[in-house]
Amino acid sequence: MSSAFLAGLRFEARMMRRDGAIWFALLALAGVALFALAMGASRVVSQQAAIAGARADETQRLTNLQKTLAQLQQGETQGKPAPEPPPFRDPRNAAFMGGGPAAAVAALAPGPLALVATGQSDLLPPAVRVTTGSKDSFLFADEIDNPANLMSGATDLAFVVVFVYPLVILAMAFNLLAGEREQGTLSMSLASARRPAAALAGKLTARVAAPILATLLAVAAGVWIFAGWERLATPGFAVLLIVVLLYGLFWAALAAAVDGLGRSSAFNALTLIGAWVAITMILPAAINSIAGFAHPAPSRTDMVLAARAASIDADRARDASLARYAQEHGDAEKPAGGPQEATLRRLATQEAAFQRVEAIVAEHDAQLARQRDMADRLGYLSPAYLTYQALADIAGSGETRYRAFLDRIRAFHLDWREFFLSRAKAGAALTAQDYAAMPKFTQADEELVGPAPAGLAGPLIGVALPMLILAALAMRGYRRCRI
Amino acid sequence: MSDLALAPLATTAPAKSRWRVVRAVAAKEWLELFRDRRLVWLCAFVVALMLAALAFGYVENARILRERDSAARADRELWVGQSAKNPHAAAHFGQYAFKPLSPLALADPGVDAYVGSAVWLEAHKQNETQFKQARDGGVGARLGSLSLAFILQTIAPLIVILMGFASFSGERESGTLKQLLSVGARPRDILAGKAMALIGAIFALLAPAFFGAALALVFFVDRERLSLADQFLRLAALGAAYAAYLAGFAFLALGVSALARNSRAALVTLLAFWLANSFLAPRLATDAARAFAPTPTWQDFRARIAQDKAKTFGHDESHPAFVAFRDETLKKYGVSRVEDLPVSFRGLSLRKDDEAGYAIFDRHFGALQSAFDRQDALRAAPGFLFPLLALRPISMAFAGVDSRSQFDFATAAEAHRRDIQNQVSDNIIHFAHDKQYVAGPELWRKIASFAYRAPGAVFALGYSALPIIGLLAWLALACAFALFAARRLRPV
Repeated sequence: MSSAFLAGLRFEARMMRRDGAIWFALLALAGVALFALAMGASRVVSQQAAIAGARADETQRLTNLQKTLAQLQQGETQGKPAPEPPPFRDPRNAAFMGGGPAAAVAALAPGPLALVATGQSDLLPPAVRVTTGSKDSFLFADEIDNPANLMSGATDLAFVVVFVYPLVILAMAFNLLAGEREQGTLSMSLASARRPAAALAGKLTARVAAPILATLLAVAAGVWIFAGWERLATPGFAVLLIVVLLYGLFWAALAAAVDGLGRSSAFNALTLIGAWVAITMILPAAINSIAGFAHPAPSRTDMVLAARAASIDADRARDASLARYAQEHGDAEKPAGGPQEATLRRLATQEAAFQRVEAIVAEHDAQLARQRDMADRLGYLSPAYLTYQALADIAGSGETRYRAFLDRIRAFHLDWREFFLSRAKAGAALTAQDYAAMPKFTQADEELVGPAPAGLAGPLIGVALPMLILAALAMRGYRRCRI
Repeated sequence: MSDLALAPLATTAPAKSRWRVVRAVAAKEWLELFRDRRLVWLCAFVVALMLAALAFGYVENARILRERDSAARADRELWVGQSAKNPHAAAHFGQYAFKPLSPLALADPGVDAYVGSAVWLEAHKQNETQFKQARDGGVGARLGSLSLAFILQTIAPLIVILMGFASFSGERESGTLKQLLSVGARPRDILAGKAMALIGAIFALLAPAFFGAALALVFFVDRERLSLADQFLRLAALGAAYAAYLAGFAFLALGVSALARNSRAALVTLLAFWLANSFLAPRLATDAARAFAPTPTWQDFRARIAQDKAKTFGHDESHPAFVAFRDETLKKYGVSRVEDLPVSFRGLSLRKDDEAGYAIFDRHFGALQSAFDRQDALRAAPGFLFPLLALRPISMAFAGVDSRSQFDFATAAEAHRRDIQNQVSDNIIHFAHDKQYVAGPELWRKIASFAYRAPGAVFALGYSALPIIGLLAWLALACAFALFAARRLRPV
């Protein structure tokens, strides 16, 4: 590192130490980051409580069913049968129990760094009650929240990093050349260094390193305080620091590139504010609108209507079958059959609804995937968009983890149906052994989280590449600067 | 400037002369705004952005409207297409109530993406609205989408700040303020002139957007279902609210510009306020609202309802409440056996159980909405300082996309559910003489489909008192601040 660079850096650092406004800005930035992490930690506690509540409810339900089952079996063995419960409350009835009373809780525990970003976690419930029914009957349940709260969004680190952090960097770096030129000190600065561009780069480094380091330190302190020191040693935390660093460097390079054009402080300020508005607000909004316009999200109501149509069709098929039977047998006599026939009819209806809903969900998911792919591709236009998504992925509240969760539910749903429906079709009553052998949605969360957020290389390159181009432009501007 | 320089004013100049000063200052400001090519291009860009947002809103809303209309028709066909069955089984099959789209959602989508579009109206249970569009949007979608409201709420104030931050400080720096004051122009008149120019520019900015929105309404509103006049009334209220919001920013910019040491300090101060208003205040106010007026989790909410519902008998014929009702009914009809009743006891018990359920649902859903209202009120309370907190609820209310409009829809849907239950139970009471009783398509057709008529603009006004007061207070405060700053105006 050249001595001119170090001299510029030291000189600027000394100047900054004596500027109260800079201390205020840095402390405010660190304070906001810490506050956001504290809010994130409280959100994680709420999610954990919701999951614990759902699991406690599951345990309670299963305990009650097993207790009733034991009473019924005891009555039978003692020759004093207990009153027969209705089928929908009968713990032996496989068709009904798998459809609700014994439903399994599939939970997505908050990731180790969940406090970093709210992502989709406020919209998607952390626990789902899987039943033998089609997905429309359980997968789209929502957590209760005031819609205006959801619309406003939460204070989280992702928000602070994406929106507030760049403004502090811009405020520090927007007028390095312009400010000195306007104060009349630029000629002295250039004359006093053997390599003026290196000296200016040193000054710029001092200015942008302060907010970047303040944020990195606040993030480390916040994660340590609110999530535990062991999180600091995870790959996810290392990726978090890299994302924050790269995003900060992008804005620093942008500020330096604009400053390097050699225009006034006012021009720089207005241009950079315009760029901030465009990159953090207008481009993400436009990306979402364009992707939504090109690949509109399909209506979920199609799914429930298909399930209902399947039910109607099953009814009609049954009516036709009864009519044929009456015609063939010459009178209105109905075919023989008891509760098992009713169960089989019910299962046939469920199966028809299941098949149709599966097909529609797959079609919807494909359309949504097209929309998201387009948004992801357009996202490369805005480093803010990429950073926001990367932070959500690091927190485990982004699409990657939620999609993995849905895949797990899909597989589990099949196991669950097979377990209950095979018994229901065979007319077998559920036993205590069956209750013990029911499929469980295990600690799949740990499998889902993975050692480090994958798939972030693209977004990181998407931020790093424009940063490098802007840095090159800035160096060119500094080398050519005129008094 | 030229006509000011012609005639220096006395300190007690008549009102006519003062008006001349105001007009001259306004004309000069206009001229300067027009001469600043950067501002003109910026305004043109924002106007183009607003029109593009309106076009996106129009296309998206037309698509959603088509989808919901077609879903409502399909659901009706499914309902009337049911085969002969016990009416209570049909009640379990239920209907779907689809939320009609408010036409002004094309300008402000409000909470629509966060509330879901359909409610399942089934027996025994009041359900929440399902299928939130926001769930499908992915993480990036949380950064918002282009809408007229988004641009007017966040970008437009920035434009006003850029137009106004150097109004006084720029003149002071160039020395023209001293000249202006030396000819006897009163600071208050200069302020009035500059405010007039800025507010005129705001109207010029708003006009294309609102003209476009009015035009879109003419094409979008289905006049058989909605009153176009009511929609125009709502649009006028929106226009007034946005004008007050942006006029407040104009006065704030002028006040800060008059007091600031220089234009740079004025710009930094105003940008800091804009950032706090647009980004920090809504999130912090939401965090505070959540903390001070918490809402239950879904699990808790449903558990509490289940706890109360356990006191009713449902289909449990061994429940003490069922036994008591049966005894009471037998006594009322003077018979000793259910079989001897002239009406169906099953129908009577279904109706009785439903009625007990209605009270429970009213209590719990009402309490939940009250909690939402408290949160909304807490969020809007600092609206006189951070006007976006006051403007947003007004905008959503008049666009028909706030949580109160949603509650009104949910209440209407629940009323329809109860109507279905009551008609089905009445049919069983009067016609079900045995357990094999089935009803046919004539009953399904007799039960109407859900038809919701959204309330008028007065409804929005009724629930917007607090934010309206907040927005007016913001305008008054900003105006008072500008007058205060003008009184302290320094020529150098």
